[in-house]
Amino acid sequence: MSGQQGSAAITVIVLMPLLIGILAGVIELGALRVLAARVSAAADLATLAAADDQDADALLTTGKIRLPANAVPVARQFFAANLEQVAPHLVRTPDAAAAEADVAAFPDVPAIDPLTGWRYDHPTVRIAASVPVRTPLFGAVLLPSVVTINVRAASAAR
Amino acid sequence: MIALRDERGLATVETTLMVVILVPLLFGVIEFGWLFQRWLAAETVAAHAARFAGEIGGDDGSLRAYIARELTGVGIDPARVEIEVTPQRVGWREPVRVSVRSQERIDLPFALSTSVTLSASAVARGEINR
Repeated sequence: MSGQQGSAAITVIVLMPLLIGILAGVIELGALRVLAARVSAAADLATLAAADDQDADALLTTGKIRLPANAVPVARQFFAANLEQVAPHLVRTPDAAAAEADVAAFPDVPAIDPLTGWRYDHPTVRIAASVPVRTPLFGAVLLPSVVTINVRAASAAR
Repeated sequence: MIALRDERGLATVETTLMVVILVPLLFGVIEFGWLFQRWLAAETVAAHAARFAGEIGGDDGSLRAYIARELTGVGIDPARVEIEVTPQRVGWREPVRVSVRSQERIDLPFALSTSVTLSASAVARGEINR
């Protein structure tokens, strides 16, 4: 019997890093899921903010809804503003992430987006962004300490 | 007889180790899962609320009622939530931020019991031309 004494302690000690690693991975995965949702919502809100406006002069003269000339910078501005809350988790600043995002306006329709292949039947603003975020708990268990979240969002003026 | 007593003692030690270490780990997975679920839900509510605030021109009773209804729908008690709308009255094309903050508890048996602040916010654009 003396050969078994302490075996439980040894088993626990051996398994402890594995168990803590699993817990850390689960927590980081959950946090990453929230961050991905946050970045996706930021892109959605940004394109909506840009597409909610229209060119008033074009609407008066032609009766058609057209995107204003500043649709792209407005989308970038709101993308950055919506990333602000998760700024501590981002590798770059929200402004830098928004500046690097591929933002495109499609005022003339119908149009095919060369990046996504999406077809637009109404004037549309589209964001495609790759946002690197820090995942320190992954780093602690020898997984990548930076994960890139890719998002695509488009909103149409109607 | 001595050997049997030793074996019983060993089982007790093993059980104690299992309970004290594995139960907090198990509850950690469960509690953080719930926490992230509520955080995701709060993010969604904040995004919808920001759009609603932009449509109605800022903060008012209908926005508060909308947020309370949405929070209740995702299992968050609105009474424990602090809502902030900045600015209170938003003009056309101006940004409006809606923040939703709630205190959530994490209880891990034998390990820790604490509360964390879940904070979600979203920025939308004012749509009312006053």
